[in-house]
Amino acid sequence: MMRIPRRSPLLPGALLVCVLLPGAQAAAQDVLVQAHRLVLAPDSVLTDSAILVRDGKVAYVGADIPAEARSAARRVDYGDATITPGFVVATSTLGRDADFGETAVAFTPDLRAIEAFDPWQDELKLLPALGVTAIGLAPSARNVAGGIGGLVKPGAAQGRIAEPEAFVGFSLAADARNPERMPTSLMGAKEMLREAFDTAKTGVEIGPDLAVLRQVMAGTRRAVVHADTYAELNAALELSQQFGFQPVLVGAREAAKVLPRLATVGAAVVLDTLDPEGRLATLRLPAQLAEAGVPFCFAGRSDRLRLSAALAVRNGLDRRTALAALTRTPAQLLGLQDRVGALRQGCAADFVVHHGDLLDLGARHVATWIDGRCVFGDEPQQARTATPNTTSAAGDRR
Amino acid sequence: MQRLRSLFVPAVLSAWVCCAPGLFAQEPEAPPSPAAGSAEPPPQEPQNAETPEAPRNEGRRRSGGRRRAIVAIQAGTVHPVSGPAIDDGVVLLRGDRIVAVGKQGELPVPDNAVVHSFPTGHVYPGLIDAETDAFADQNLKNDGTLDGGAELADGLTWNGERDDQLVAGGVTTAYIAVRSGARLRGQGAIVRPMKDGFELWQGKEHAAVELRMTEGPGASHPLQRAQQLEQQGNLFDGLDDFRKAQEKYDEELKKYEKDFEAWLDHHKKKSGQPEKPAEGGEAKPAEAPPQQPGPGGPGGEGRRGGRRGTGERPPRPGGGGGEVSQEEFEEALATLMAVMAEAPTTAQDPKPAEPKQEPKPGEGQPNGPAGQKPEEKKDEGPKRPTWPKKPNPDPTKDALLKVVDGDLPLRVEAHRPDELRTALAMQREHEIPLLVLEQAYGADSVAEEIARQGAMVVLTDLLPYSIVPATVTRHPYAGFDPTTLATKLQAAGVPFAIASGKSRLAPLLPMMAAAAIGRGLSEDAALRAITLTPAEILGVAGDTGSLQQGKYADVLVTDGPLFSTDSRVLLVLARGRTEFEAK
Repeated sequence: MMRIPRRSPLLPGALLVCVLLPGAQAAAQDVLVQAHRLVLAPDSVLTDSAILVRDGKVAYVGADIPAEARSAARRVDYGDATITPGFVVATSTLGRDADFGETAVAFTPDLRAIEAFDPWQDELKLLPALGVTAIGLAPSARNVAGGIGGLVKPGAAQGRIAEPEAFVGFSLAADARNPERMPTSLMGAKEMLREAFDTAKTGVEIGPDLAVLRQVMAGTRRAVVHADTYAELNAALELSQQFGFQPVLVGAREAAKVLPRLATVGAAVVLDTLDPEGRLATLRLPAQLAEAGVPFCFAGRSDRLRLSAALAVRNGLDRRTALAALTRTPAQLLGLQDRVGALRQGCAADFVVHHGDLLDLGARHVATWIDGRCVFGDEPQQARTATPNTTSAAGDRR
Repeated sequence: MQRLRSLFVPAVLSAWVCCAPGLFAQEPEAPPSPAAGSAEPPPQEPQNAETPEAPRNEGRRRSGGRRRAIVAIQAGTVHPVSGPAIDDGVVLLRGDRIVAVGKQGELPVPDNAVVHSFPTGHVYPGLIDAETDAFADQNLKNDGTLDGGAELADGLTWNGERDDQLVAGGVTTAYIAVRSGARLRGQGAIVRPMKDGFELWQGKEHAAVELRMTEGPGASHPLQRAQQLEQQGNLFDGLDDFRKAQEKYDEELKKYEKDFEAWLDHHKKKSGQPEKPAEGGEAKPAEAPPQQPGPGGPGGEGRRGGRRGTGERPPRPGGGGGEVSQEEFEEALATLMAVMAEAPTTAQDPKPAEPKQEPKPGEGQPNGPAGQKPEEKKDEGPKRPTWPKKPNPDPTKDALLKVVDGDLPLRVEAHRPDELRTALAMQREHEIPLLVLEQAYGADSVAEEIARQGAMVVLTDLLPYSIVPATVTRHPYAGFDPTTLATKLQAAGVPFAIASGKSRLAPLLPMMAAAAIGRGLSEDAALRAITLTPAEILGVAGDTGSLQQGKYADVLVTDGPLFSTDSRVLLVLARGRTEFEAK
């Protein structure tokens, strides 16, 4: 097997961050954000603690904050509120499926989703109010091999690209089968992928498209596969077993039918956000996945992310896994857990503030911060004694 | 406005007092019980003292003798809703009623009581879903031809697993309505969900008249909308005439009875056989039509009560009369006269059956007596009275009359502010005592008006973004947010209930209330919105909606606070019966 030079996804990404991050160059003052409850990650919670935000990132956490930095920083105290990492949506086209799928050709693994990204898109502006701080911008499910997805973030005025190349999107779902072009059937779709992976594995001269598949097989790029029904899931799992990669299955409506195999293969699942009126079997699926040890997260309607996690809890899921499904798990599935989805040192300072546990719908959403800036809700006064729950307008969404 | 208020506020109150006697009686009790049920124990102590013998009377209704014992539910926190929460509280039940609510240790529990203990649990009154389509036949939902007289209680059925979820989620009372395309969607029913079915709430099978005053979110021309809404006013058109016609009929019926008696007396005397005709005479009015409408006749009661049943029968003799031919009539008259004149006891039994059918209608015909037998002195005696013409039965108008009289609430589904304003104008114009606004998404701009007119609101779709996704901004309903609306209604003093609207969402009722808390509503208000307030809106607050002495033993026990997402339901009792128990 020959090694192919692979592009580092980080370098161009970092460059873009520097170019696009608004205000990054104006060496901003450090911000010390305090709250009664500080959830760094689902299994790591600090009480009456703080994080120090520097240049849009978490520079220090809790007791690690140097005294001089602490005293020099601007202080934001959310009183008895809870700070939680912002929500990460694993895959989304931000409502523009058509722009993220090259319908004439089914096999385009080297296209980049960020090429079609519009930082001024309306939907991006709504996301902070919903607690969403990062989105895996993915090619749509219309192509068998749709292309490379990146990570984008909403902002106060406009969105930005945080990581241009993160994962590659495949699809075996019904959307990928198009009577106008090959493949028109699930058989054809599976065969198309199998052939491509085969060529990528054994071929000598390969193009940039097959190079992407090679990265998947080498484990340097996550493969996100749209598959809903048993037959589609089965096909995806067979391919992943054959070519040795751990797929992230998107949709996976009938995941309950392949539950043990998911764990064996090391697959993860991106579930559609839950519909409260949906079938009981669907509402109970998250708890089943957790029990089987399959990592999962939610994507779909971003206004239902929090509700989906709450519904999953209501149907038997434990709170920790539910919170992970909103934050850490999607970041892991995109291979970006060091960047987003947690409030550890070096991660982006993306977080949401609630009065109470956000998995209880009674917990009021107070604010959303992205890259160290408050983009939704109110910043409380600096005074240590100030209690943020007097800012009643913060919870209103419209 | 003032005048209006003075007009129907007393009516509201009186209707209320009738429907919910317990409500006002209990209010004074609640405040003095901040010390965890201090007000409630006194009345119970004597009761508890007599527990050993007293329960027998209570339990007689139920076949299972075991239920007669006092059941004590002890829990970490008891939320009576009518008063502040009680730490380490206890609820005593006997039969289907609550006997006492208080604090453990202060409220004596009889030795023979069956004790259920939930040291960290929370006890709430059974939840009330003020609007759901559970148990409604699917076909009803698509039926655009319903009218105000259609009784949904007749079309209820059990739809399987999802309907079980109501009681498993702690809902012990629910109001059933369907959102069909009809303008008047029939009369909703109040049911008691059970673990494998439901039972109708006796006396509340017809709980409200449902009116649709919205075309939904379909965008339309504003002036066209105004026109459409204006036409809603014609709903009550002709109602006064209908009432007058009914009243006139009642009067005429009375007059007919009187005239008939007079006519009969006349002929009794005339026949010269005081005893026998008297007997015959007695027989006739006894079985004759006058008796038939008799119960329906006097007063307005029959007008309401005899809606469909009696509406059809009486017209037959009367209406049939109009079609009797001249020959038939004369023949019948001759027979009658013969009977009247000579019939001794023998004629009495077999004959009356024939004469009574035809003669009476026949008599009503204009030139009847002018027929063959001029020897009878008809010109001297009173004329045989005419059977009054019954107005055409109209179940819709019957229902609307009940609405206007305050016997039934009018429940109006209205979404946008203009629709709500039309509904409120309708209430003012027709002095509707009980108005309930359903959905009412745009109510924040008319909240004060709603409060002023004493209308009530049933909110649905409280789960975040359940009307319109956040990403859709050009939808006509994009600005509506029932979740924040609850807080605004609370501030304006509008009584509101939070309802699931759909049976599939029934288990999420507490979550909906929690969503409102997340937008600023207090927990107490949220709890009230799924218990006592809906009970008031449904007119059953005398029997349920809070944990108070004398109310039904509708009890929900959870392992954590109700509004916590992962709280599990441990036990649900409905009228003392176990409807759900966690394994």
